Amino acid sequence: MNSIPHPEILRAARKRAANWPFRSVLIANRGEIAVRILRTVQSLGLEGVVVYHAADRKAPAVSVADRAIEITGTTPVAAYLDAKQILAAAKASGAGAIHPGYGFLSENAGFARAVADAGLSFVGPTPEQIELMGDKVRARAFVAKGGFPVAPSAIEDDDPATFAERALKLPFPLLIKPAAGGGGKGMRIVRDAAQLGGEIERARSEGQRYFGDGRLYVERYIENPRHIEVQVLGDAHGKVVHLFERECSVQRRFQKIVEETPSPALDAELRQRICETAAGIARSAGYRNAGTVEFIFGQGGEFYFLEMNTRLQVEHPVTEMITGKDLVLEQLRLAAGEPLGYAQEQVTSQGHAIEFRIYAEDPSRGYTPTTGPVLKLRAPEGAGIRVDSGIVEGQDVTAAFDPMLAKLIVGGKDRTEAIARADWALADYALLGCVTNTAFLRRLLNHQAFVDGQVHTGFLDEHPEIAAQPALDPATLHRLLAGAALVTRPMRDAADLVPDLHAAIGAWSN
Amino acid sequence: MHHAFKLEDQEYNLELSRAPAGYRLHLADAMLPVNLHLEDDGSAVLTVQGRSERVLVATRGDDVFIHLGGVAYQLRYEHPLQRLAAQSQGSAADHVRAPMPGSLVALHAKPGQAVARGETLLVMESMKMETTIAAPRDGVVEVVHFAVGQTFDRDALLLEMKNVD
Repeated sequence: MNSIPHPEILRAARKRAANWPFRSVLIANRGEIAVRILRTVQSLGLEGVVVYHAADRKAPAVSVADRAIEITGTTPVAAYLDAKQILAAAKASGAGAIHPGYGFLSENAGFARAVADAGLSFVGPTPEQIELMGDKVRARAFVAKGGFPVAPSAIEDDDPATFAERALKLPFPLLIKPAAGGGGKGMRIVRDAAQLGGEIERARSEGQRYFGDGRLYVERYIENPRHIEVQVLGDAHGKVVHLFERECSVQRRFQKIVEETPSPALDAELRQRICETAAGIARSAGYRNAGTVEFIFGQGGEFYFLEMNTRLQVEHPVTEMITGKDLVLEQLRLAAGEPLGYAQEQVTSQGHAIEFRIYAEDPSRGYTPTTGPVLKLRAPEGAGIRVDSGIVEGQDVTAAFDPMLAKLIVGGKDRTEAIARADWALADYALLGCVTNTAFLRRLLNHQAFVDGQVHTGFLDEHPEIAAQPALDPATLHRLLAGAALVTRPMRDAADLVPDLHAAIGAWSN
Repeated sequence: MHHAFKLEDQEYNLELSRAPAGYRLHLADAMLPVNLHLEDDGSAVLTVQGRSERVLVATRGDDVFIHLGGVAYQLRYEHPLQRLAAQSQGSAADHVRAPMPGSLVALHAKPGQAVARGETLLVMESMKMETTIAAPRDGVVEVVHFAVGQTFDRDALLLEMKNVD
């Protein structure tokens, strides 16, 4: 794999970065994404500052950063959500820009505004754009008004009194979503009209609890849909380009596990249409910086706007692999006010890339999170293999944070080569001390439907055998028991105490 | 056989003895020549019946972790004395444990409170979803070990119950 970005591009950007309005970037995040952002920040000759909670003291971002500032909170997550402390850390460290990563404060318009008010650059879109896209109802209305496709729906705010009545008129099954939601939280599928009322109440209480906002909307639920999203970049001068699509259909509980590009579902014509639709939506919003337009894609090739994520995505590396663009570098230079500097035709894609999210979870127990110490960690290395990791040996995996530990990104000249490399790389990825989903990911990628590219968001529910723990064959069992016995002190001591009769005879008889 | 390992909820009895080269593993249904050689890079070469392969091994207390054939496994060494003790222990229904790691969202029972089987004791959150934990039997709540907002690991003891007198 060629280095990303091209060394010439990096050298030129490094030169220009000397004149950017910021010389130091604070990363208001943790885990693998903090390390990922630091890599580009430092490669540009900028200073990289991180904030961290004590639970992350041993995390790689803290040791890689030029400066690390401890923040506190009632819970570790609360610390990373504390805008005041983060702004104070930026001030104390002299950082001129804040990169929010994903999650936490990344889509918080109030935070983006506070960053700007403090005279710092926010590496992301404007607060108004975050607000528009963060309100799913407003975003839908905005997109529909622009003439772009949205799914048939009933919106509570239009007339709360008739909400349930209007929802009942939509073709079942339905999907209830919180107006302020995201990430699958509080979403409910309703197949039976009799259950609508109860599910609306449950979704409202979840929305209230997660987002402090109980407003809902209901849309037609597309059976066995694919989730296809498009990466866009916009500058402060109204220019927007897309960086092609990512297929993120393999999900559990509405959360992505595997993402790839190009999507196996699209032919050239459809690919161009969906990518241009995304760029059009972003352009109509005057969108700045990196963003992702998500679509729901039906079996018949129809697609509808789902939402727009106004931040860097977890799965951005697959786009980097096929386009050769460093998305964090693009974000930083756009935040510095640089124009995009290239046209749509100059964005090209080559080969195939797949990302696998390595989670601390046990797929055979309903994907429940796991915890434990990272006793040994070995990541695969080789052509076409990239590992973005937020853990090191000696750290503890706790229930305090999201269970995503690392991402394995694998590229190849085509999908077949990428899959073959991924199978090897997943087998070679070893983490001891805490159960992860790597063996599950291998079963998934070797499943015929995945090999054929025939996946949809309900794929894993339809094939529970992929998540199930396979039966242990006797040969493997014997090897495991042998290995375990040989490293267990009491067993080895007991064996060594009794000299072997054959061993003694053997010594006399050669 | 005195020694045993637990793997995926199954218990396996076994014994180890010396052999001319390495060791012998005695199982209920087989006896195999085995050996393990630690390498400088932290990996190890495991040989069973003459077949060698590179593995990664780590231990922590009685837990043994092995990465073998592209899959990570966890085994637990069962001490002979503990195995005896476990057989004569009381009902697990007195101990309410966390089915998964998470945090406590709401507490519906106080120490000293009488509860009926199936009554909600507490609500926990994991994976962005709420799970209700109900009383396993009729009884009185004796101790609650966590406060709302606190996080815990899987199998953590959340609450203890005692009999109604």
